[in-house]
Order: sequence, then structure tokens, then C-alpha cells
Amino acid sequence: MKNIIKPTLILLLICVISSAILSVLYSNTKPIIEQNQKENIENARKAVLPDAVKDKFVAVDVNNVEEGEERFIRDSIMFYKGYNEDGKLVGFTFQTAGQGYSSSAEVKTMVGIDLNMKIEKITIIQQQETPGLGANCVNPEFTRRFTEKDPAGIKVDKDGGNIESITGATITTRAVTNSIRDKFVELQDDFKKQMQGGGK
Amino acid sequence: MKPVAEFTKGILKENPVFVMALGLCPALAVSTSVENAIGMGAAATFVVLCSNLIISLIKNFIPDKIRIPCYILVIATFVTVVDMTMNAYLPPLHKSLGIFIPLIVVNCLILCRAEAFASKNGVGLSILDALGMGLGFTLALISIATFREILGSGTFLNMRILPQSYKPMIMAILPPGAFFTIGLLMGLINLLKKKD
Repeated sequence: MKNIIKPTLILLLICVISSAILSVLYSNTKPIIEQNQKENIENARKAVLPDAVKDKFVAVDVNNVEEGEERFIRDSIMFYKGYNEDGKLVGFTFQTAGQGYSSSAEVKTMVGIDLNMKIEKITIIQQQETPGLGANCVNPEFTRRFTEKDPAGIKVDKDGGNIESITGATITTRAVTNSIRDKFVELQDDFKKQMQGGGK
Repeated sequence: MKPVAEFTKGILKENPVFVMALGLCPALAVSTSVENAIGMGAAATFVVLCSNLIISLIKNFIPDKIRIPCYILVIATFVTVVDMTMNAYLPPLHKSLGIFIPLIVVNCLILCRAEAFASKNGVGLSILDALGMGLGFTLALISIATFREILGSGTFLNMRILPQSYKPMIMAILPPGAFFTIGLLMGLINLLKKKD
């Protein structure tokens, strides 16, 4: 009997100690980690729309734009409008995500759209793709391939499209490309409405 | 055994990747570029050092029957601590090493050192063993990655060393390239050992 109780208690003790350490550390680091992530996203927003001023982005909640319409399926904040120093609308940014090769995290992309409805720039804000292959999607050599493209018409070259895929990482390329296209198609009418509305 | 020997045995004689065939999963996955190899090697060395240290300290307290779950708990706790602390206070480092942290948990090298060495030896020797093993693991990753990066991308540490006209051998950075390289290097080391 003693052989069972003693190891059990010791294992319990070690579990309690580890959980205590982790929970204290988690509650201490969580606000800092969230703050870091918020800053990352703000920087990414500025990076994909270089003409806009960093603290002049305005969030647009599509659910409020079209009141009464059944759009509850979407997430709350859908995209941001970017303004320059003079308060003039210069474009839109939105986030999108697609399932890449890694099962633990989606590939999240920040996309900047100019007023001609072309891609200004994109940047990858989160990914856990294979290092050396899919993880190369963060490099400017890859993200540059999207600039000036019509987001509604982009496709991976293996699917007969105009985006050259990353060597050995077609799945990652496809995740990025398709997630941008699908999200843009979903949002493009709202972008147009915002532009007709005078930009404010 | 002498302390110096405990340190140096991990580098070639008992190299974790080439001789003991431990930690092959991360060795295959992250040896596509030298930069990744150094990152993974450093992160794994740090974790094996800390887990060896703690396990050699608490080894007398842990009953034999439940030692494996205890070691796994200590290692997993430690990896999570490293992950959260790095994410909060060193975000740039976390961004470049973050991908390797989940891979460290599955690195059987760390559990092996805990079970085979730290649970039987004192703190000082355990630290030397961890440093040697970590260094051996890092060197093994770098040697695999050097082959794969030069052949597969024509670069070394992201610097172009082969002329632009060189057409990269894509297979080298794909998984088969890792198997071929590890196999050839293992064979080479066995050959050298036989000659001694």
C-alpha cells in the first residue's frame, strides 16, 4: 500500500508545483504578450499601407455598416481604413488566415489595398510553417509577388494562376493566396461603399 | 570518468545525432538552413542544460517507479516557461526561435540525458554532460544544414556563395535531402571510427 501512496503523492506534488509556476507566469506574461501582439499588428497595418499614418487607422465594423442585413456570421471588426497626414483616405487593410502545412497554426496575413482595388503590400503576421520551406513566406521576395495584383484574380501558378509558388511549399503559397482572394471578394463591396461615402 | 571526458563525449564519440540517433525528428526538420540549425541547437542546449540541472538536484527525491513522468513534467514545464518568458520579454528572439520550442518537447535527446545521465550523477557532471550533448547536437545540425543549404539554395548563412547561374538542387532542402545527408554523414563517422 505504501508503495502506491508515496509515489502518487510525490507525483501530485510535482504536478502542483509545475502548475503553480506556470499559472503565475502565465498571468504575469499574458498582458505583455498581448500588448506585443497588438503592436505587431499595428506595425503590420502601417507596413502594408505605407502612405497611411500609423495612428490614423479607423476600424470598420461591417455589421454596423449595413444594419438590418444578416451578416452575423462574420467576425466583428472586419477591416481598417487608412488615412494620410491630410486626413485623406488612402486605402484599406484587412487580416486573413488560411490553413497551411502546419496543423497547429494558420498562416495569418495582413493585406493592404489601395484605392484602385489593387494589392499595395502584404505581410505575414503569424505562421508556423516548415523552417526553410513554407516559413520562407515571410521573406519580402515572396510577399513582393502580390504587389500591384488584382486580389480578386490571384491564384497559385500550380493552379494556373499568376502567383509564383515558394519552392517546395505550394501548400503555404496556396493558403496565403486563397485566403487573400476569398476575404477580398467578401469585402470588396464594403470597400467601394466606403470610398463612395467620401472616405469618412 | 573525468569531467573533461563527460563534456567532450557528446561532440563526436557519443554524438547524439550521428552515433546515438537521438533527436532525429528536429534534425530532419530544421536543418534546411544553417541559421535555423544554430537557432534550434541553441534552444535545445538551453533546455537540456536546465532539465539536467533540475533533475540531478531532485533525483533522490523521486521514487524509481514514477521517474519518467516526473522527468517529462520537469522538461515540459521548463519548455513552457522558456516559451512564455521569451514571448513576453524578448519578442524578436521569440519570433525567430519560437517555431523550435514545440519541437524541443519532442526531442528525445533531452529525456535521454535526464534518464541516462542526470538521474545518476551530480549537478556538476550533469551540467558538463548537457553542455557537451547540446554542443554535439548543434554541431551535427550545422553540418547537415551546411550541405543542405549550399546544395539546395546556393547560400551559406543566407549569403550567396555559389554563382547566380547555379540551379539549386531543390531535393536537398526537401525531406529526402535530409535523410540522404544524415545517412551519408553517419556512414562517414562510422567509417572514421572503424579506422581508429
